[in-house]
Amino acid sequence: MAGCDAASQGPMNPDVVSAIGRLRSAGVLTDGPATLFDRVARRQLVSLRFELRVLLYVGVLLLTSGVGGLVAAHHHEIGRLTIAGGIGLAAFACLACVIQTGLPFSWHAVESRHVAFEYVLLLGLLLLAADLAYVEVQFGALGPDWPYHLLVVGALYLAAAYRWDSRTVLGLALTTLAAWRGISLGLVHGGSGLDEARLRADGLLLGVLYLAAAALSVRLARKGHFEDVFANAGLLLLLGALVSGALEDRAMWTAWLVALVAVAGLVAWLALRLGRSLYFAQAVVAAYVGLLRLLFERPGSRSLAFLLAALLGAAGLVVVTAAHRRMRER
Amino acid sequence: MRPDSVAWERAAEVRGAADGWRRAGFIDEPTERAVQAIFPDPCVTPSAVWRVLNAGAVAAVILFSFGAFAVAVRGSSGAVQAGLLLFAVACLAATDRVEASPRLARRGAAGATAVLGAGFLLVGLALFLGETLRLRLDDGIDLLLIASTLAWAAGCRRWGSPFFAALAAASLFLFLARLPNGRLLWLLGGVALAGACARRLDASAWAPSHRRSAAVLLVGGIVAVYAAINAYSLDARLLESVARFSPDRGLRWPGAGVLAATANAVVPVAVLAWGVGARRTFLLDTGIVLAACSLLTLRHYVRVAPLWAVLVLAGVAVVMLALAVERMLRRAPGREIGGFTAEPLFSDERRQRALEVIPVVATLTPPAPVDRPGFAGEGGRFGGGGATERF
Repeated sequence: MAGCDAASQGPMNPDVVSAIGRLRSAGVLTDGPATLFDRVARRQLVSLRFELRVLLYVGVLLLTSGVGGLVAAHHHEIGRLTIAGGIGLAAFACLACVIQTGLPFSWHAVESRHVAFEYVLLLGLLLLAADLAYVEVQFGALGPDWPYHLLVVGALYLAAAYRWDSRTVLGLALTTLAAWRGISLGLVHGGSGLDEARLRADGLLLGVLYLAAAALSVRLARKGHFEDVFANAGLLLLLGALVSGALEDRAMWTAWLVALVAVAGLVAWLALRLGRSLYFAQAVVAAYVGLLRLLFERPGSRSLAFLLAALLGAAGLVVVTAAHRRMRER
Repeated sequence: MRPDSVAWERAAEVRGAADGWRRAGFIDEPTERAVQAIFPDPCVTPSAVWRVLNAGAVAAVILFSFGAFAVAVRGSSGAVQAGLLLFAVACLAATDRVEASPRLARRGAAGATAVLGAGFLLVGLALFLGETLRLRLDDGIDLLLIASTLAWAAGCRRWGSPFFAALAAASLFLFLARLPNGRLLWLLGGVALAGACARRLDASAWAPSHRRSAAVLLVGGIVAVYAAINAYSLDARLLESVARFSPDRGLRWPGAGVLAATANAVVPVAVLAWGVGARRTFLLDTGIVLAACSLLTLRHYVRVAPLWAVLVLAGVAVVMLALAVERMLRRAPGREIGGFTAEPLFSDERRQRALEVIPVVATLTPPAPVDRPGFAGEGGRFGGGGATERF
């Protein structure tokens, strides 16, 4: 650690430190804020907020994994009622803490008072969902309709997301509802192996529903800040279903492609009007991937197909550049 | 780096800081505009989404063009090698031109051309060494790793990308692992790299991106040292398995096990102490990750409890630690202890929380039911990601 002393004595960001001095002498910054800015730039005051959040997330992940492992390894010895009761009690403790410390409901954004609030809520809901799943599997309350427990869990997440104003829990609710319809949106799960056509139809339906929810959130001013979570999940499902149809449906791929290009064009146009870059990006990428099928499907020179794909990419670049300029101007 | 590019980067640093001050409510918009007037930045820096989109489009154009060329020459090795070289030169020249233009720099395109340029160069070299010169595989790998180190290091020096610094460090350490006493070289190389870079983290003469590259190399050096002394890595001969010269495969230094066990405990603590002393969060983050690795290593050798118990206890400990630190900082006078605070300061808290949605949803979403039409009755699943468990 030869460099330790040298490193700790120097300013963290020499450019900002010298700029603060210049701005102060030019009268742009007053002494009060400038002193604080200078402390932060010199690394005399450092925020651990991000590290604390990461630790809490990792802690929740470890805890839920451990509880899952316990249930898997010992559910015969411990007994079904004890396990169901134990997990339920832990979930209740977390949610009781959330209910006690949570701020009153509002249709607008509510900033939680504590950095751990969202993670305690998340842990409580995950444990509750696990408990419901365990009870369903062990006692078979829903019988052949057992996947409906995902609908119950998704609805529970949705209600909690609105009550405690959590975009994270809302994201979890939307993907859980998609899982109920057989669509895996998590990174760690593969496909469900269900009928592809049915999955596509479900994806389209859910995508449109989520997009409608996004529009209504803003229009009715009811949790308007949930818009991007709804809309991004909706676009992922809608465009994903259309791309899947264009790439994998042997009989109807042209119809899927036409629909994809039309929907992507509409989404890109709306994204430009609303100033939403992520929606625009999803539309452009989906349209490009779909159009590649058209280029490589046609008979003829493979080399020409590659060249046309490159030209299509160049056209995409022009569109992206123009769209960015237009969005900046707006 | 070009002096112009360095000046633009410095202005962007100040403007970025002013943006944080305004977002946190410490200055108003007219003040921010005054800061921007004093520190003009001719470059346009789009958001990450636009940069990725630009980079993706540029990469598609280049890769499909190369694909067209490769198909046209019917995969002829000589022609493909020439094509790779040609594309590499074109991409690298384009990167330099784009980086020099304030209208085009920082839009993502230069990053794509730089990565592809170096990539084409290295793939072309690999083909040249293997198919034209017909070198032995070991010789070819060594030369390729040296070339990779130099190419990425030169790219980092010229265009200031921390990502290139990481690739250069990875290539260098892979090359060192192939030499005799590779483990010792990792240890010495790691110490040397970390020591050299630690002195440059705040060097005002360096461009901001070069300072960030120094931080990446410092972490690379620490990780190399840790990998060299980790008990599991030593036991499983992980580094020796990539060595070219391996007369010492199976050879153990006397007392190496005890030293490794001690170092496993000492290195993470030392890195954490360094992070606290220097108040550098990236060192704290590195120390936390290394501590987790050491605990995993310990669990591998000393099975004090079943896995589920370890996970639950670790989860509780991590949550309690985070809560205790937060509470301590929140209740301290001025909400800070030793220069640390739990307040967000000037970071974009809302944006960070929005980004948190992605990992949570990706790892904790339950899996879709496989056999929805009927009920197998053989158990369900619990949680998601690392939490997935059958019962």
